[in-house]
Order: sequence, then structure tokens, then C-alpha cells
Amino acid sequence: MFIENPLNQSPWSFPILECIHIVGFAFSVGTIAIVDFRLLGLGMRHQSPPQLLEDTWIWSLVGIVVMIFSGLLLFSSDPDMYAPNPAFNFKMVVLALAILFNYTIRRKTASAEVMPPYAKIVGGTSLALWGAVVFGGIFIAFVNAALYVR
Amino acid sequence: MILALAQWIQATVFFRDLRESWYVYPVVMSTHLLGIALFGGMVLLTNLRLLGLAMTGRSVSDVIGQFRVAKRVGLILIATCGILMLGSKAEEYYYNILVKVKLTLLLLMFVHGWYFRRSVYYNTEEIDRAPRIPTRAKVAASLSLLIWTGIACAGRGIGYIDPPLSKLHAQLWPAPANSTVTPK
Repeated sequence: MFIENPLNQSPWSFPILECIHIVGFAFSVGTIAIVDFRLLGLGMRHQSPPQLLEDTWIWSLVGIVVMIFSGLLLFSSDPDMYAPNPAFNFKMVVLALAILFNYTIRRKTASAEVMPPYAKIVGGTSLALWGAVVFGGIFIAFVNAALYVR
Repeated sequence: MILALAQWIQATVFFRDLRESWYVYPVVMSTHLLGIALFGGMVLLTNLRLLGLAMTGRSVSDVIGQFRVAKRVGLILIATCGILMLGSKAEEYYYNILVKVKLTLLLLMFVHGWYFRRSVYYNTEEIDRAPRIPTRAKVAASLSLLIWTGIACAGRGIGYIDPPLSKLHAQLWPAPANSTVTPK
């Protein structure tokens, strides 16, 4: 390695970035899930899905942006560890699917004036995809420990 | 006494198995975090609504009222996972300063909820009738955001405090590289 990553100079930069990463996903996954639960018919029934989407989309987007940028910085701290890690690779695949799904099928479904009959499937799929992203993220360190440390 | 209790808890078969399985602990942790995402999102929106920053087209009563049950379910889910994690490494966490910080902040959050219960969180109809959101509600919302963020950050930091290996009686998994402790 020719250039030392300044992030690795301080033992606190990684955990602080992780905090920002977590706040980012509370914003994004948290607000996305509210619309998903509405699509599933659970909670926030005084509002229609389009109303909730209108209320939350900006916070979801802010969260996703914060999450991606802090995530890239976290990745940069030790790319050699992340790149071959199966949990990391799983996370990246489901993350790409989750974002793609979010801004295509899910947005179309949640914007519909009349909830389509498949709304529950869309809400459930979105929740499952984002849940898989979180699980993948947590498992990175544990898979790393299980596969490589010993 | 608390130390003895912590040692006893983590020595039970349930928590020993939880600690020694390579995947149960991360599954519990992931569920904890997923709960934080869902619960955190609702806390955020509730407080941002009180600050007049989000969901301004909906009444405060509507937002707080509709999130109330879901937030409780979320909190129970997070707390259950948290207790499972605490119990599995109770002795190590007994020495961890950020565990103490986190538990203190959680206690503070309960005081916060109790203190603002009547004037803010169960007083939403009056807040809706007021020409503008009362300062008291904004203070409650800001404090809530601040304390919850502190709780999340303290929680994230727990794993970064090195355990005092010479004092521990449980085998950690995976064993830290500098570990000299053998299971007892």
C-alpha cells in the first residue's frame, strides 16, 4: 500500500463513521418501512400510501445518501478485507436490488391512488430486502472472524 | 454483587450456548439493529413532526397516535435482543464504560418520557389547536433526538472497548489474538 488512508490514523474514525452509517439507515430504512407497513395494511391507516410516500421520500433519500457515503468511507478503511468477504458481497447485491426495487416497482405501487392487489407483496419484498441488507452488514465482521482470523 | 450476578447469568446454559454459537449472536445483533432502524425511523418522524420539519401536512395527534403501538412493539423487540446480548457477555459488559453510558441514557430516556408525558406526548390535541408548536414540545423533541442518538452511538461503541481479559471467566469467541485466558 503506497498511500495510508487518513481514516486509519485514528482509532475513533471507524466507530464514529459507523454511528453516522446507523443514523443514516434509521432515516432511510426507518422511513421506507413506514410506507411498507402501510402497504401491508399495518399501521398509519389514516393516511394513504401516496400521502405517506410524499411525507417520507425526502428523509429516505437523505438517509440513503448518508448511508452510501459513510459506507464508502468504511469500505475504504480496509478494502482487502471487505472485497472477498461473502457477507459483504451478499450485502452489496441485496443493497443494489433494494435500491432498484425502491425506486421502480415500490414507488409505482405506493404512488397509486388505489392500492393494487399486489401491494402487500411489494411491501413485504421491500422490508425483506432492507432486512437482508442489515443482516449482511452485521455478518461482515463475524464472517471475517470465522473465516480468516483463526 | 452485580459482578457476581453478571457472572452467574452468563454461566447459565442458555447464555453460554448463545455466546458460543458463531451465528446466534450476530443474528440477535442484526435483529437488534433492524429494530433500531424501524423504531428509529418512527422516533425520528415523531420528533421531526414536533419540530415542524416533517409530515407537517398531518396533525401531531395523527402522527404520534398512529406510531404509539408500533413504537412499543419495536422497543420490546430491541430490548429483548439487547438483553440477550448483555446476558451472553454479562461479565465483560460489567466492565464496559459504554454499556454504563448507554444504560444511563436509557434511564434518562424513561425519565424524559415520564416528564413530558402529560404536557407533550399525551397532549397532542392541544398542540394541534395551538397557533404554533409550543416550545415545550420542541424541547422534548430535541432532547429525545439527542438522547436516542447518544444511545445508538454508545451502543455502537461497546464493541470497541477492549475487554479486561485477565478478569474474565468466559471464553470469548472468537478468542482475541492476544488472549492468554483458557476456558474455566
